[in-house]
Amino acid sequence: MTREVNIRAIVVQGLPILLLCALIELGAGRVFEGMQEYFTTILPGLIVMVPPLLGLRGNINGALASRLGTGLNSGLIKPRLAMSTEIKVNLASSLILSLIASATIGVFAFGVNVLTGAPTIGVLELMAIAVLAGFLSALILAFLTVLVAILSYARGWDPDNVTSPTMASIGDFVTIACIYLAVLLVV
Amino acid sequence: MGIKRIVIESYPILLACILVALAAGYMLNSSIAEITELPLILSMIPPINGIGGNIGSILGARLTSALHIGTLKPRLRKQRVLRRNVSASALISFAIFSLIGALFFAIAYFSGIPVARSLSLALAFFIAGMTLSAALMFVTIASAFVSFKGGLDPDNVVIPIVTAIGDVLGVTCLFMALKIVGV
Repeated sequence: MTREVNIRAIVVQGLPILLLCALIELGAGRVFEGMQEYFTTILPGLIVMVPPLLGLRGNINGALASRLGTGLNSGLIKPRLAMSTEIKVNLASSLILSLIASATIGVFAFGVNVLTGAPTIGVLELMAIAVLAGFLSALILAFLTVLVAILSYARGWDPDNVTSPTMASIGDFVTIACIYLAVLLVV
Repeated sequence: MGIKRIVIESYPILLACILVALAAGYMLNSSIAEITELPLILSMIPPINGIGGNIGSILGARLTSALHIGTLKPRLRKQRVLRRNVSASALISFAIFSLIGALFFAIAYFSGIPVARSLSLALAFFIAGMTLSAALMFVTIASAFVSFKGGLDPDNVVIPIVTAIGDVLGVTCLFMALKIVGV
């Protein structure tokens, strides 16, 4: 059986979800814009950390979601909202990775600023903001990822076309909001 | 899989992605004068990177599945499945970047920016988005084909590459488009 690739079907099915994602990203953008003064005057050098923190969040949760997906499909994880050992191991690894990688981002961002001669706040301030933002967003998004993975498995949502794009956009929004919160707490 | 193994296996890949994303961060920091002058630019960054990443990831997932089940061969000529998937991605890009571009026109205009400049901003966003989409589709196809031919599982290769490159290219395309349109 050869399934014909139907352009119309791909567009009609993909567009609404991607439009929703774009609107969530626009919300993230408005929060980002709201932090403008912190980047330009109050905390110079801070903006260097934003793309790595967003990327880190996407990578860790993407990997978590795909490990959960594999676990659910192979029957290793039961589609119930209870804390099994498998889910605990996956959650704990995501949180530990977030802490280590966020601290790394703080150090490297400071390095980039010093090497390029850009004005910068101290390495400890950068690390504090990165770790706080990284850990807060990891905590919120790890639980959300588990919830959505189990729900989407139970309801048969397509992981490639529905769950992953939506979680990536929500991840960006939550991460930027957490960076803002971390900045307010540290300053 | 144990916690230790997941952490040890994941850290090097995360480190590589952090290094690539730092390039995007550096680019933002060196454009801080433009951002001070026009903070709306910051609002455009998550949408352009997010939409680009999603379009690349979905195309990547579709091509990867087609390679696995054999309806797609890793070459460019006479590949109906490839041509149709690329057309669908291009159509979706066009629709989304037009709509979000129009939304940026409204946001700019109602925040007190004159009509002509608001239009230029929306146009710059649209041009940047379409350029990014085209570049990312190319990266997606290339990384799917090369990893499949090399015996690697494209599932594990394509999406990390596409999202990391997308973040750097997204910021680059946006600032280039803003310069070209002359906002």
